[in-house]
Amino acid sequence: MTLVRAAILVALLAIPAAMTGLWIKSADARLAGTAATPAEVAPVAAASDVGYCNPELKRILRRVLMSCGLVGGNAARGCQPIQAKNVATMSGHDFNALFKPMQGRGGIVQFDKDKSDLDATDLGLVDQVFADQRGASWFFVVARSSPEGAVEHNRELSKARAEAVMTHLREQFKDPDLDKEVGMLWLGAEYAQLETEFCDWKRSASGACSPEQLNRSAFVAWIDCQL
Amino acid sequence: MVVLAGAIVGLVFAAISTYDFVQHLDRQVHSLHCSFIPGVSHGAGESGCQVAMMSPYSSVFRSHVWGGVPIALAAMSVFAFLTFYALDLMVTRRKDDPRATGFLAAATLLPALTSLVMLVISLAKLGTTCKLCVCIYVASAACLVGGIALWRRAVRGPGAEQGLPVAVVRRGSAAVDPRGRRDRHHEDPAFVGTAKTTSARLVAVGVATGAASTRFLAGMFGLGVAFVVLPIVLYLAMAPDHARFIGTCEGLPHADDSYGVMVRIARASPGGVPAIEVLDPLCPACRAFEQRLAASGLADRLDRKAVVFPLDNACNWMVTEATHPGACTVSEAVLCAGAKAPDVIAWAFEASDRIRSEAKADPAAAARLVKQRFPELASCVGSPDARSRLNKSLRWIVANNLRVLTPQVFIDNVKLCDEDVDLGLEYTLSTMLDRHAHHALAPAPLEKAPPGKPAPTRSAAPPGAAR
Repeated sequence: MTLVRAAILVALLAIPAAMTGLWIKSADARLAGTAATPAEVAPVAAASDVGYCNPELKRILRRVLMSCGLVGGNAARGCQPIQAKNVATMSGHDFNALFKPMQGRGGIVQFDKDKSDLDATDLGLVDQVFADQRGASWFFVVARSSPEGAVEHNRELSKARAEAVMTHLREQFKDPDLDKEVGMLWLGAEYAQLETEFCDWKRSASGACSPEQLNRSAFVAWIDCQL
Repeated sequence: MVVLAGAIVGLVFAAISTYDFVQHLDRQVHSLHCSFIPGVSHGAGESGCQVAMMSPYSSVFRSHVWGGVPIALAAMSVFAFLTFYALDLMVTRRKDDPRATGFLAAATLLPALTSLVMLVISLAKLGTTCKLCVCIYVASAACLVGGIALWRRAVRGPGAEQGLPVAVVRRGSAAVDPRGRRDRHHEDPAFVGTAKTTSARLVAVGVATGAASTRFLAGMFGLGVAFVVLPIVLYLAMAPDHARFIGTCEGLPHADDSYGVMVRIARASPGGVPAIEVLDPLCPACRAFEQRLAASGLADRLDRKAVVFPLDNACNWMVTEATHPGACTVSEAVLCAGAKAPDVIAWAFEASDRIRSEAKADPAAAARLVKQRFPELASCVGSPDARSRLNKSLRWIVANNLRVLTPQVFIDNVKLCDEDVDLGLEYTLSTMLDRHAHHALAPAPLEKAPPGKPAPTRSAAPPGAAR
């Protein structure tokens, strides 16, 4: 009887100890295995890179951004019309076509004739578009003027319009990355005038949309491309 | 028989529960056996067993060993002892010995009381019950009922059911009334039986090796302790060393708050170690982490700030769907709240199930709920400024190359590995804090272990998955 009791005792004492020991040993072996194997992990956070960012667009974007000082360490800020035309090496129509996929990400801030002041509606549109950055890396402000007036005056006017938008962004959002992500182009009336197909975009002025009115503007949009 | 059956059932379910716990020592995600049928795995989704196992109540000595020593292991040992003792009573024919059965009844009190405490904790603290645990509770109750019934029958005497008085025939002595009229503790009867005293006819009902002496009971008590202590000592000795993983996960290359997006997750803790928690205010895993941290008692040693990382595609381009609907809006509220951010986060954790559920049906519901609870934030939530701040928060995540996963915790810029935020939290965090106190907390390359069988990793779980 003593032997039976001893056997029962040993068997039942061994159950929790032996089973736990085996399970721990097995877990330890798996642990060693996973430590030696590259882990399959969750994706790393990254800026967005959407479908329209084809290689051609990225190539042009890179050239524009480098030339305009946003990438590549060039301290310059903004592009003048001739530079934009050179770096893009394309017609104004094709240049505008680059931005068409961004209709949902942009807007057209319209100014009064020969003015560069932003009214409340303009500010509202700029804020709305800029706040909707999501994962975009680049914000473009492309200012233009209508063809009336001298070339030089129009160039300066479009520059003042671009800078008005930039000044507002700087004051409103206090974003430390602003100078690294906002690209300004002032095109005057010399290059890539907007055509009426852009009347469908979000605009700060309602009602009539003639080419002249459309080009007294600053086009603003986020570009969801990684370079 | 009832005690034996209950003890065996308890042993089986406690063993399954221990197995489920121990297999997590490999730092991976495993499915759990969570069923009233032994061995049946629980399907996808969070079960009561998952909640119970990941809770701070599933183990003890959590600061001394990674994950702690599972309570289920002690339960397994206790049921193994009860099985042994019940079998021993049968083998030695002590079923009718009031002292031996009294000891059994007393022994069954331990699992029964523990089960009662764990049931109360489950219902009151965890808000759920686990099927495996319920089986253990039922087994404990069966043992207790069976133990008490056996003891009462022994006290009444084996012939009591037939209305027969009981007599104990001592070696070389006359029959003695066994109901305590004499000091039976030191007696050693050679024969236990019933007697029809009127006719003096003795009816043998069993042969005992002797009534349980105090020494016998003390020995059994010692055995019971050994049943519990031995596996625990073995567990502590064999548990893998998880300290070597500290510092081996990604750090923060740009920890500074250049965007001004960090908010306090709790009141400032003077002298606390700086900690950054990347969280989604509607993420169940973040809420569970918060509860575990509070239960660990280590939160006071941290000076915690949070960076919100909503896993909701309404604002977060890194996820393809709204894993936590409404999280963008609630995150804006957190950023708008300023000094009151801890209150908003606490409310979001508390109401997260409701917010997610209502926001799933109506995307505007989250804003409505936020504005109802915090009217002072109504003008800020949804404004371009709030959206821009939230975007900066997401850009901080991108700048630091973080995984699309919540929660993520950094102690003085050293990451608390994702595998350590649940079961291993107390051990890993307390070790990190000790190292920090000795200026020894730093990123460290993982020492390569010998090649072994690869296994899917925990962090392969979907973003925000309950962990």
